[in-house]
Amino acid sequence: MREPEYVAVNRESWTQANAEYTDRAAREEWSREGITWGQWHQPENEIRMLPDLAGKDVVELGCGTAYFGAWLKRAGARRVVGVDLTPAQLDTARRMDEELGVGLELIEANAEDVPLPDQSFDLVVSEYGASIWCDPKLWIAEAARLLRPEGELVFMRGTTLRNMCVPDSGPATDRLLLPQNGLYRIDWQDGDTAGTEFHPPFGEMFAILRDNGFELLDFRDLYAPEGAETHEYYAEPSAEWARKWPAEEIWRARLRPRSS
Amino acid sequence: MTHPNIEAWTRANADHTDARAEQAWAKDEIDWGVFRVPESELRALPDVAGKDVVELGCGTAYFGAWLKKRGAARVVGVDPTPAQLETARRCNEKFGLGLEFVEAFGEDVPLPDDSFEVAVSEYGASIWADPYKWIPEAARLLRPGGELVFLGNSTLVILCSPDEDVPATETLQRPQFGMHSFQWPNSGVEYHLPHGEWIRLLRANGFEILDLIEIQAPADAGTHTYYEYVTADWARQWPAEEIWRARLA
Repeated sequence: MREPEYVAVNRESWTQANAEYTDRAAREEWSREGITWGQWHQPENEIRMLPDLAGKDVVELGCGTAYFGAWLKRAGARRVVGVDLTPAQLDTARRMDEELGVGLELIEANAEDVPLPDQSFDLVVSEYGASIWCDPKLWIAEAARLLRPEGELVFMRGTTLRNMCVPDSGPATDRLLLPQNGLYRIDWQDGDTAGTEFHPPFGEMFAILRDNGFELLDFRDLYAPEGAETHEYYAEPSAEWARKWPAEEIWRARLRPRSS
Repeated sequence: MTHPNIEAWTRANADHTDARAEQAWAKDEIDWGVFRVPESELRALPDVAGKDVVELGCGTAYFGAWLKKRGAARVVGVDPTPAQLETARRCNEKFGLGLEFVEAFGEDVPLPDDSFEVAVSEYGASIWADPYKWIPEAARLLRPGGELVFLGNSTLVILCSPDEDVPATETLQRPQFGMHSFQWPNSGVEYHLPHGEWIRLLRANGFEILDLIEIQAPADAGTHTYYEYVTADWARQWPAEEIWRARLA
């Protein structure tokens, strides 16, 4: 498959973000105890959106510096493969993996076209990775291809509400700044940085999952916990906004047994 | 003392639904919600031919009447408001469709377990009954493999609706955190849950989610003259209504 033009745009923006933030944040993230979710690090043992990891083969689509995959490996996954399209982030991930001896495998690829065999994983995860930076019609189909029958897909992204209320630059509002039907693909520009994100609203995302053979098992809105502070680098929406309205959401789906 | 929802719907029947009932029963096409989006576009319903159907919160039962015309073997309309059931019975006699009616709340239906293949609710129990009670009732009434299809409001339109009796705005008027029941002015008690709560509730009651359709008002739709909680212009930009379709394992 020819690389879509937005892949280069997003690679550039993540090369810059890695230099500004994710490289220096990687050691703290990789060293974190247990698995946590999202900007406010809510523990998986409260959120409970992942299946049992023991002995599972896991692929993380859009792993960035791969801290999430590292947590899954330490929680008992047999094999964790991180896939990302930004070499700078993979360099950071490899450095951390060597330093901490976690034993991830890291592959440079677009999650819409992954050079890994069919039916080779029990779990696909994406935490602000392919889940917002890749075209869902393409990456969800790849997830279905990579999973064994009854394998699970768990991903996190920003909520539809957040995407309608947070402007390209400036603070989150309580106003609907965008219509819902324009959210599938958003090309943004903020100063020198540009990016392409994909945020199909709930019904559209549900239909993509269903059409690729997934059954929806669970869905959870995440709010900022009491006492949480606004994130140092991902500053919007603020903790105050995210206590009233959900900023992040987690989807959990299972591949239906293939009918012959 | 009468239940506030019975009071509200007795008034609404006198103001609007009684006068509108015969026209609605006379229609042959099924449509959904205040902007009347045709079922032929949305495809939210299973084939009802030969099926036993219960409508939870049927009001004047025009929706059940449409399903009977589509070949449902049996349609039972359940509603707590006597005035609306009187209107429904009058229409049923006039059109000779053979619906059955039961006066009851959707949370507690005096009908046996495993007695229906399809349960529907269009602005009925779906928003006027407590989901944590009526979803278990729907599961109890359905046979294994039976389907539940219901239409209610989107979370977004509820977030954008002011406390006053005026249409939804483009500003979030209330937090989503903890949303469940609502008391609007001059109205009864409504229930609205965010998507995650619906999904967990449906799955906890043995349902698999088959579809979730967020309805967009058609380009040529006008604002409803009686249900003015949202303008057509708003509902073209954001979903004001959604349909859930689920199947009992």
